[in-house]
Parts: sequence; structure tokens; C-alpha cells
Amino acid sequence: MGPDAVFAALLAQIRDVVPELGGHAFTRADSMADLGVNSIERSEVLLLTLDTLGLKAPPREFHGARNIGELSDLLHAKLAG
Amino acid sequence: MTAVGIEALNVYGGAAYVDVEELCTYRGLDIQRFENLMMREKTVALPCEDPVSFAVNAARPLVDALPEEERARIEMIITCTESGIDFGKSLSTYVHAHLGLQKNCRLFEVKQACYSGTAGLQTAVNFVLSGTSRGAKALVIATDISRFALADANAIQEWAYSEPSSGAGAVAMLISDTPHLFRIDVGAYGNHAFEVMDTCRPGPDTEAGDADLSLMAYLECCENAYLDYARRVDGADFRETFHRLCFHTPFGGMVKGAHRHLMRKLCKVPVAEIEADFKRRMVPSLAYGQRVGNTAGASVFLALAGTIDTGDIGEPQRVGLFSYGSGCCSEFFSGVVPGEAPQHLTKMGIAKALDRRHRLSISEYENILRGTDAVRFGTRDTELKPESLPGIATGAGAPRLVLDAISGYHRKYRWV
Repeated sequence: MGPDAVFAALLAQIRDVVPELGGHAFTRADSMADLGVNSIERSEVLLLTLDTLGLKAPPREFHGARNIGELSDLLHAKLAG
Repeated sequence: MTAVGIEALNVYGGAAYVDVEELCTYRGLDIQRFENLMMREKTVALPCEDPVSFAVNAARPLVDALPEEERARIEMIITCTESGIDFGKSLSTYVHAHLGLQKNCRLFEVKQACYSGTAGLQTAVNFVLSGTSRGAKALVIATDISRFALADANAIQEWAYSEPSSGAGAVAMLISDTPHLFRIDVGAYGNHAFEVMDTCRPGPDTEAGDADLSLMAYLECCENAYLDYARRVDGADFRETFHRLCFHTPFGGMVKGAHRHLMRKLCKVPVAEIEADFKRRMVPSLAYGQRVGNTAGASVFLALAGTIDTGDIGEPQRVGLFSYGSGCCSEFFSGVVPGEAPQHLTKMGIAKALDRRHRLSISEYENILRGTDAVRFGTRDTELKPESLPGIATGAGAPRLVLDAISGYHRKYRWV
């Protein structure tokens, strides 16, 4: 799976968990926290994305990303092994 | 097999509290964030209250209710805390003295952040199951206070994210072979543990950590401790096996998030059905946590007390409990609450005791936070004036133990 597909998978989960952001035009520099996504919702987005991508890694390995672009890169790198 | 579990339980939620909505408004926190906490009140430990006084005040009604011959069978006291007052001497020695228990008693303390209470419970359960002293009882007391934003405006500022949910409280449990409140499913447990630096107490009166990382670790443990439980217990089903669920509760919103995650991940339940399941199986567990805040090692048992007192237990009900302690260690285990458990627990009058607490004004609360009268870790000599403090003078409805003085590091307590 390419980086764009991983980013799309991440966005799909954000929109699923936080329907209010359905119409938002996301960029890689967006931070979920800055968009008002609370910590529980952020963790749910990550867990669901890991599930969608079939990644078995512990969610804490993706902790520390400053925006959704960085998070997507971490996910892609893990997926690529 | 020998029945084992919780014979009696009591919650002590302190002498004073602050209204959480009032505090959030005063701090200028987002009101939506407040609602996400699912908190109403938080207990505030007064300068004359420490983990020993909380523990004794929780345990005394249990001990007083026992006939002399049964009281003499308390052969072990385990204090469970991350709020210790000495590196060597355990809280249990003071607790033992102020409860006036027999000298043939094993006294010690355990620590593993908020997992400590479960570690103590399982140790006591296995003592009873071992049969090495038939008919013996163990007293397990989880007791914790948060008093770490002392005298430093910056510390209070940094603390803001966790201030509204940090509480204080103790749960005392009598563990025996006559489990009137909660009969343990022997052998039904699962663990998940790994090293992580999510939250910690690196020094006296200080707390550090990363809330997001802690949440990740909590969720990871919740899922994997349950999977370990399911590996051991034939036919376990997260949705069907447990009539009620009680989780370690840093704040209600976190428990709600964990429940939603498990329901989606393990049971593939549509989101629309999850809310109803949460209300039915978990909301009663929040009854007391919403009123005292995060009580660390005690919180999962505070959740059990709330479930028994407010969960409309008619028939015996199986309860699944999840305990998590930062750092980290976790456990999912289960037991059965007998139908008559509410009649036993109601004698403790937990809600009424919480109602009797003094509501601190923000000014009184800020004064306590500044720590002018606070007893810091390692204090050698001091004298307190308990009766001058808000909440003490107004009375507890029953005798209450308070810290009166420290002389040569030795803590002196008094019943008021």
C-alpha cells in the first residue's frame, strides 16, 4: 500500500470517529488536537486505522507524531516493514 | 473449591471536595472537555489527611462490624498505594495500630501505580486459597491522595490537564472465605504488562507523564489483558459473559472510550448499539468515581462499590473488572456479586458519607493547593490544627482519624 492510500485510510477513520469533520479539507499539516479531536477520539482513530491496515503493532509505537502527515508516514513505514 | 472474595467493603471519600464544573470554569477550561471527563466532584485531601488516615477511616467500619472472634482472624493487612509516606516503614503498621488488631498479623505494602489495589487483592485471595491458616481474613486497603501541585503557580498550570480528575480516597476490603459482596472466579484472570514511561511520581509531591501515551497503554492493556483472560476461560465472551463491567477510572470519559474500543474490536458491535451497552453495564460503576475523582489503586473497587450500590443487583451477577497501573501492569478478572450484596454494602452508607463532606470554595481550595500547611514527604516535626480546617470542624457523623502531629518522623493521629 502506498503512502497516499495510508493517508486516505487515516482520513477515513478520522471522518468516521468525528463526523463533524466530514467536510474539512485535510492537509498533512493538520493536527487532530488542533482540530478539536479529543485524546480518546485520537486514540480511537489510531486503533481503527491500525485495524484497517492490518497492522499488529502496539499503538504506542505511533505516539509522538505532530500532525496527521507524520502519523501517516509512521504507519506507512511500519507497513513497509 | 474454597469460596473466596470480598466479604465486606467500605469507601472513604475524605472530608472535603471541590465542584469540578466550578473548578473548570475558574481555570478557563473548555466546558466540552469538562463534559468529556464525566466528573462532578473531586475529593481534596486536607493537610491533616494522609494515606494512613484515609485507610483507617475506610477500614474502621468493617472492623467494628465484626464480632471479637472474627476480628481476631484478620491475619494480614496489605496497604496498596503510590502515595507512600516513608521508603521503609509501610502504612500498614499505622493502620494496624489504629484499628487495634491482633499482633499475630502480617503487615506490608505494595506499589504498582493504580494497579496496586488489584495486586493486593490477588495476594490476599491466594493467601485464603492456600489454606495455610483456615478461616483467616486479610484486610486489603487501597489508599491514595494527589497533592502534587504545591506552592508553585507554574506547577499548578502544568497540572491543569489532570487537575479536575485527580482525587483522593481509600477502599478497604475484607478478603475471606465468606465473600458476601464479590465471589472471585478462581483462575479467571488475564494479565498484560510492559515497560512504558506514561505517568509516574518521580519525587515526593510531583507527578509527570504524557496523558496521550498513558491512554494508548491503557487501551492496549485493556484489550490484551482481556484476551489473556479469554485464553484461560473457556467460552468467555466480552459482550455476553459479564452482566456488569468495572474498569480503573482515571475519569469517566476514558472508561467510555475503552469500552467502545473493546466492543468494536472484540465484538464488532455497531456504534449505535455501544452506547446502550455502556449505560447498562458500566454507568453504575461511575457513581462514586464521579464524586471523588481518580483514586488510583482504589478506583476499580470504587467502581465495584458503585455497581453494587446503584446497579440494581437483583439476581447474582458476573462482573468483569479491569485494573491498570502506569508503568505498566494490568489485569482483567471476574467474579460474581451475590443477589444479597446490596443489603450488605448499604450498611456502610457510602453515598451519605460523601454527602456530608464540606464543599470547598475555590478560595479555600486554592489555599490548600498553595500548600502553606501541607505536610511534605520527609517532614521530621510538625503540629497540625485539624479543627481549624474546613470540613473537620463540621464533623463526619462518625469518629474520624486525622493526622495531629509528627515528632521525630513519627506520625501521631487522633480521632475527632
